[in-house]
Amino acid sequence: MPSAREAMANRGDDDEVCPVCKSSRYLNPDMQFLINPECYHKMCESCVDRIFSSGPANCPVAGCHKTLRKARFRKQTFEDINVEREVDIRRRVMQILNRREEEFDSKRAWDDFLEQREEIIANLVHGTDVAKTESDLQKYASENMRSIRANQALEAQEASSLKEQQTHEQELARLRREAAKQEYENERRELQASREDVLTRLAAGRPGDAAAIAREGKKVLLKKSSARRSEEDRIRQKQAALRNSDARKAGQGGLTADKADIAGDSGLIKGLKKIVTPEPEKPYDPFGGMVPNKRDYYTLRDFYPSSYLDPIRQDTRMQAGGYDLQEYYSRTLMEAFAGLGCFIDEEVAQRDDAGSLGVSRPAATQGAAQAAVSSTGTPEAS
Amino acid sequence: MIEDDFYRTSSQYRLWSFTAASLQAQRATTNAVASDRVRAAIRRAQEARRSATSSATGTPVPEVEGSTSTSTSTNHPAKAEEKPIECLTPEEEQQTVSYYCEQIIQLGEAYKPPLPTIVRATAIQYLRRFYLTNSPMTYHPKQIMPCALFLATKTDNYYMSLRQFADGVPGDTTAEDIIAPEFVVMQSLRFTFDVRHPFRGLEGGIMELQALAAGQGQPAPHLAATTQTQTPESLQRGLLALPLSSSSKNITDRIARAHHTTREILKSAAQITDVYFLFTPAQIWLAALMLADRALAEYYLDTKLGTPAPSSSVQEAEAADGLAALRPKLLRTLNDCAVMLQAYKPLASDPDQMKTLRRIIGKKLYHCQNPEKVNLGGAGQKRIPAAALASSAAAAAAAATPTGGVDSGASESEMERLAKKRKLETAAESSSGSKDIFGGELVMQRTKER
Repeated sequence: MPSAREAMANRGDDDEVCPVCKSSRYLNPDMQFLINPECYHKMCESCVDRIFSSGPANCPVAGCHKTLRKARFRKQTFEDINVEREVDIRRRVMQILNRREEEFDSKRAWDDFLEQREEIIANLVHGTDVAKTESDLQKYASENMRSIRANQALEAQEASSLKEQQTHEQELARLRREAAKQEYENERRELQASREDVLTRLAAGRPGDAAAIAREGKKVLLKKSSARRSEEDRIRQKQAALRNSDARKAGQGGLTADKADIAGDSGLIKGLKKIVTPEPEKPYDPFGGMVPNKRDYYTLRDFYPSSYLDPIRQDTRMQAGGYDLQEYYSRTLMEAFAGLGCFIDEEVAQRDDAGSLGVSRPAATQGAAQAAVSSTGTPEAS
Repeated sequence: MIEDDFYRTSSQYRLWSFTAASLQAQRATTNAVASDRVRAAIRRAQEARRSATSSATGTPVPEVEGSTSTSTSTNHPAKAEEKPIECLTPEEEQQTVSYYCEQIIQLGEAYKPPLPTIVRATAIQYLRRFYLTNSPMTYHPKQIMPCALFLATKTDNYYMSLRQFADGVPGDTTAEDIIAPEFVVMQSLRFTFDVRHPFRGLEGGIMELQALAAGQGQPAPHLAATTQTQTPESLQRGLLALPLSSSSKNITDRIARAHHTTREILKSAAQITDVYFLFTPAQIWLAALMLADRALAEYYLDTKLGTPAPSSSVQEAEAADGLAALRPKLLRTLNDCAVMLQAYKPLASDPDQMKTLRRIIGKKLYHCQNPEKVNLGGAGQKRIPAAALASSAAAAAAAATPTGGVDSGASESEMERLAKKRKLETAAESSSGSKDIFGGELVMQRTKER
């Protein structure tokens, strides 16, 4: 690299001569110079065609053994080749490290990220620690493929929406201009018309009326113009309001788009917001975790020997109605054990302490008291 | 335990379960409030009477009053005022209620066919719940008792027409008398009509015991999961190995005997004592079974909760962790319940108790009865606008007769005289009320009736 840089530095005036074929602009006025971002050696268009048409080849500049491809040759944007190179590097790094400010926990983290990015760019430009920086960058790129893509898409969207907005604004401005022009035309025409009107009336009327007609004409003109002005004001206000609402809408749209996705944390960049992936919904459980026919104190059998119940099993009169002895079994056993482990002396005391006392017990006494009062109340009133 | 949570949702658990202390406090409060009310009401009544006698001189009112009151004291207002009114104590109230609970059982027997046990038991619980927030001094149990029983026939799906029901009630109680306090009763029950009885639970337990005896037992769910110690055969063997009581020949006979005894206990002792307020139905029937056949009940519990043997393996102890804590607590509770059930003695069998009861109900309750609450018929009629609007003399007289029924000690001639007096009053009232298109004011009318 240093050699290349030196070479680029003292090219000076020989801009007009192709360093490869030595043909000068003097002989070929249409000559154009191209560079390849691989090594930034300048050569003329015809050289590129000649050397690289049949596939990749080595750079023809002596000492530079970079393999170049024709497709990547392009015109130089900046005069200084160093700037050209830095811009290229910057573009590449920015494409990879394209985190957005919303993705960071704090302003501080965002600033750190910006600094880190600048450092990477500087490293690459000035050639310090290039290998490590490159490998870091590649690693990051492969790890964060998805978030990079997403951010790129976002950026593209933003750019396109910005462009759209700009064209829209331009269109509006053009319309406004046209309206103003139209207005001015109308005004002028009306002025002319009224003047002509006054003139014709003056011509038709008697000489004594001249002053009166002239005054009247001026008054009409004034009234018209003031009416027009107020109308214009109104329209202008309306338009302004419309513009504001448009702008606001556009802003909101941008915001929602920004929030759309936030990618995962990576090793290179610190301070990214944690991404909470919503847990997948569990299948709906109508019993809330309870097993429908599970019991804790007993296991229900299909049959219990009982001299009292056994005849029912055979009795068609009972069975015909849909009577199921199983229902009886389950109900009696349920009632046999329902509340076996409820210790009322403890639980009710707890419940009362917990302030359910304040809800249930006074309600009882209140209710009774109210009942007593309402029924005593009436005789008292009598 | 799922079954326990099932019980915890019941209104019996939520509203009608108390600790011993809170139950006592509730009764004391009710008694105190009722006593104050009764004193105030009697004072008001006396003042009203005095003012009436002083203003309306020459009217036959004082004489009639004097002759109606059969026993004493009210004929001389001044004298009654000097004597402080003696109210019932909470204990006396409870005795009174218990007496009427037993009356419900007897009343149920009187019907043909007798009312089912469950209806009677429900009625008794209604009565007991009613007198938690009301005092016998406010509402006489004699009026409330048939109403509670009638309400129980309805809530327990044992249909009887009101007329049919009223025919079975002794005394000259009319159908209107029975349903008059119905709304008051329902309100005091806080409109919770569900009573969880231990009867069906007992059937379930006996059913399972018989299955055990027949070698068809199922191990308890949690024990089956951990150790395979419980098999139908082992359960049967365990049951047969129980020390036999003297009277029963084999295990089936023994279970049947225990079933019968337990049922009797549940029908009597469990109803009249406070166990429904203090324990759950499952605990009540198990405690009763303990009284009937202790060895059997304990063996049955062991099959459910696991034996407390110290030699039981470590894993079993771990698995039955909740049950291990449950077991001693449950045994203690069951013992408490059993003691309470055993302590019960039927009132009728104890002449001493009957004597005190007769004193309480016959004399004391008569004197400290809240005079403003006697006429429930009027209060009941308030709910029927059509009947209330009919202010004709006949309607008023018809409504007035039940009031006469309250002091049933009055002789026939006195009743006639009373009726005549009321007729006079209502006639006077209707003449005064004839100015109104819609008849006299309802409240006025009720005051006259009293």
